[in-house]
Amino acid sequence: MTGDIEAREAVGDYKAGWHDPENATIRFDFGLSEKVVRDISELKNEPEWMTEIRVKAYRHFIERPMPTWGNTEELMEIDFEKVCYFLRSSDQTGNSWDDVPEDIRNTFDRLGIPEAEQKWLSGVTAQYESETVYHSIREDLEKQGVIFLDMDSGLREHEEIVKKYFGSVIPYSDNKFSALNTAVWSGGSFIYVPKGVHVEMPVQAYFRINAKNMGQFERTLIIADEGSSIHYVEGCTAPTYSTDSLHSAVVELLALPGAHIRYTTVQNWSNNVYNLVTKRGVAYENAKIEWVDGNIGSKLTMKYPAVILKGEGAHAEVISVAYAGNGQHQDAGAKVHHMASNTTSNILSKSISKDGGRGSYRGMAKIMPKAENCRLNIVCDALILDEKSRQDTYPTMEVGNPTAHCEHEASVSKVGDEQLFYLMSRGHTEAEALGMIVNGFFEPFTRELPMEYAVELNKLMSLEMEGSIG
Amino acid sequence: MDASSQYLSTDRPDRADHLWRYTPWKKIHPTGKISDIPSDFSTPHISLKTIDGSALPPGISLTSGNTISEGLPVDEKITRCFLEAVTEESKFTLTVAPRFKSSVPIVIEISTGGIFCSAHICLDIGKLAELELVTVVRGACDWFGMLRTGSTGEGAITSDVVVNRLEHGNLLRVESISIPRDSQFKAGTVSSGSTITKADLRYRMFQPGGNLNVLGSILSAREMSLDHHIEIYHDSPETFSRLNWNSACGGSSRTVGTGMLRVSKGSNGADAAQLFQNLLLSRDAQADSIPELEVSEHDVVGCGHGTASGPVDQEQMFYLESRGMSPNESKSTLIAAFLNSTLSEMGGDKMHSWLVSELDSDLNELGD
Repeated sequence: MTGDIEAREAVGDYKAGWHDPENATIRFDFGLSEKVVRDISELKNEPEWMTEIRVKAYRHFIERPMPTWGNTEELMEIDFEKVCYFLRSSDQTGNSWDDVPEDIRNTFDRLGIPEAEQKWLSGVTAQYESETVYHSIREDLEKQGVIFLDMDSGLREHEEIVKKYFGSVIPYSDNKFSALNTAVWSGGSFIYVPKGVHVEMPVQAYFRINAKNMGQFERTLIIADEGSSIHYVEGCTAPTYSTDSLHSAVVELLALPGAHIRYTTVQNWSNNVYNLVTKRGVAYENAKIEWVDGNIGSKLTMKYPAVILKGEGAHAEVISVAYAGNGQHQDAGAKVHHMASNTTSNILSKSISKDGGRGSYRGMAKIMPKAENCRLNIVCDALILDEKSRQDTYPTMEVGNPTAHCEHEASVSKVGDEQLFYLMSRGHTEAEALGMIVNGFFEPFTRELPMEYAVELNKLMSLEMEGSIG
Repeated sequence: MDASSQYLSTDRPDRADHLWRYTPWKKIHPTGKISDIPSDFSTPHISLKTIDGSALPPGISLTSGNTISEGLPVDEKITRCFLEAVTEESKFTLTVAPRFKSSVPIVIEISTGGIFCSAHICLDIGKLAELELVTVVRGACDWFGMLRTGSTGEGAITSDVVVNRLEHGNLLRVESISIPRDSQFKAGTVSSGSTITKADLRYRMFQPGGNLNVLGSILSAREMSLDHHIEIYHDSPETFSRLNWNSACGGSSRTVGTGMLRVSKGSNGADAAQLFQNLLLSRDAQADSIPELEVSEHDVVGCGHGTASGPVDQEQMFYLESRGMSPNESKSTLIAAFLNSTLSEMGGDKMHSWLVSELDSDLNELGD
């Protein structure tokens, strides 16, 4: 308990850092083995082909070494034997909040999920530990044929679609953590939007880790059929503990010809969570994929949302912001592969580091030899707020076609004294002035968020800036 | 432990390291067998002269042997040890006296021959010296390894240009230069020779007031693969650096420009920027850039980098053609202008004219 108090003091104002008593109905022992992988699959009564994929992925995970790039020191600290790979908190997925166990319901109430659902969402999935505890979708969307399920239900109810697309964008052999996720995945979202259907209001998934040393490995698959569109929003929080938790998700998007997928993330894990996520989308002819990615929390984030522009005229947009505070390393970025002609992409990355935090942009942009007339633009801006902090950028650009127009620019600077002086001469305190400058710096990201998220993020950033002067 | 033993005991480099991503050590090693240190290396013929053939001014000399400089950047052990092992018998030092001044650029002419050839050249430039130096590599050896190490003097103003005119074969070039207090150092690279080039160029400003300008004019044609890696270290307050690297890439060639700009804690007032620009001239050409940045000091004037790749601008082509130029002439003119933007910064008029005359034939080939 003392450790928890110390951890809470260390992370300061992280307001989602409480935890509930653990009331697991099923909890696996710590550690990973082939038996654990098979047990998860058996518990979920999965088809054999899925069990086989899990086992293959597990073997690949065991054989594959840890990445030799990035923050290798912190990566090596992960003890995979001290992680709980499956924990069930509720025996059913409720489609009314009344069906959700009271303590879990209270948690999501405090996080404001039911309220947001009533006001501005088309559907909500709430995942607590390893599985979804609540799920709903608006009736009119269901009637139009939109499928919005948790991934476990998706596999049960639409096995053929899942079998066709699962791992087609991110195979288990892609990297060590996609192998881990494929081996032990549980929960996540499965969405199919039929041809020509536009889901006007966003759907949201909320991920909460409650238990200590927990691993959360959700798997999300979104398929937008021809000419359809959807906006998916995900948020996440966890309690503050003195020991580490692991979040390793895989997200696969398929935007079929003319479709549009926007995937928004506001990542606010507590500072004891390793956030090692693989996200990738494939955009076919004239399709558009947008990743709007905010990273505020976690101990170490390694996340590079990717788009493969496979069809002519496809477009990718990645807007990401990162805030790295005390003890945090936000290693985020983007990848775009232009495989087809006349494809375009924009990447905008904003990063702030403070109190010894480290922010890194890591990107890959590739124009394939047969992709004619592609355009690519990358802008990375970073602010360092004090002498203890650090910013890096590691962009890679490979251009294999002479008709491509590619640009990348990055800058690292501090907050300008003149900007601070101007705002203070208008009556603001230093902290207020800095908060305003930082919110302005993040504005290209916040203006893309649903309003409620943007307001919350601005408040959060202003809070983080308090006491940062001097 | 001698250099050979150090090389053999050093771990092989990791392909994940961006220095080795495109041209791995095995590819540039003389035999491709990385446990080999061939013994049959020859020493190139090296001479020191002025660019216009006039007599050398007093205060500058090229002698056998080497000197040790302070403040050198951390280098890649594998290439450093290998080159030290194969240059045991071919070490030279360029000594420039304090307050040396020359109105004429100085040339170190290196003529290579045989199968394997190598040289280690140390720069020992005195305080407050002012000079323009060109090191030009020619010849037809199959593999040439060049290690250049050294330091400029405090308050010295130096233009140091390396021109690669090897007829074919592979070039491994490793440079490690330290820049002391109030010293201005211009490091130019002009590359239009060799089939494969791997260059690892590192510069460190280890005292206040260091000023560095790294410039590249790279012409890549036929099946060349020219891979240049540039690391710049700001390890002291009030230091300044710029990197401008222009590559024109034709035929089925490939250029790689990777940069690392490191600003260490305590280097307040650092002002650093790097820019890689690639002109793609043919369907099979490829250009890759990785300009990396690591900033651990918050009180900087600014640190930035950029990269841009694209074809010859069609509007500019149209403009020149409407003035009566043929398409080939227009293209050659635009390529020359593109490369000249960095070439013209490498030194004064005399050096510039000399560099342009060296590159004329290669420019025409790219324009065709």
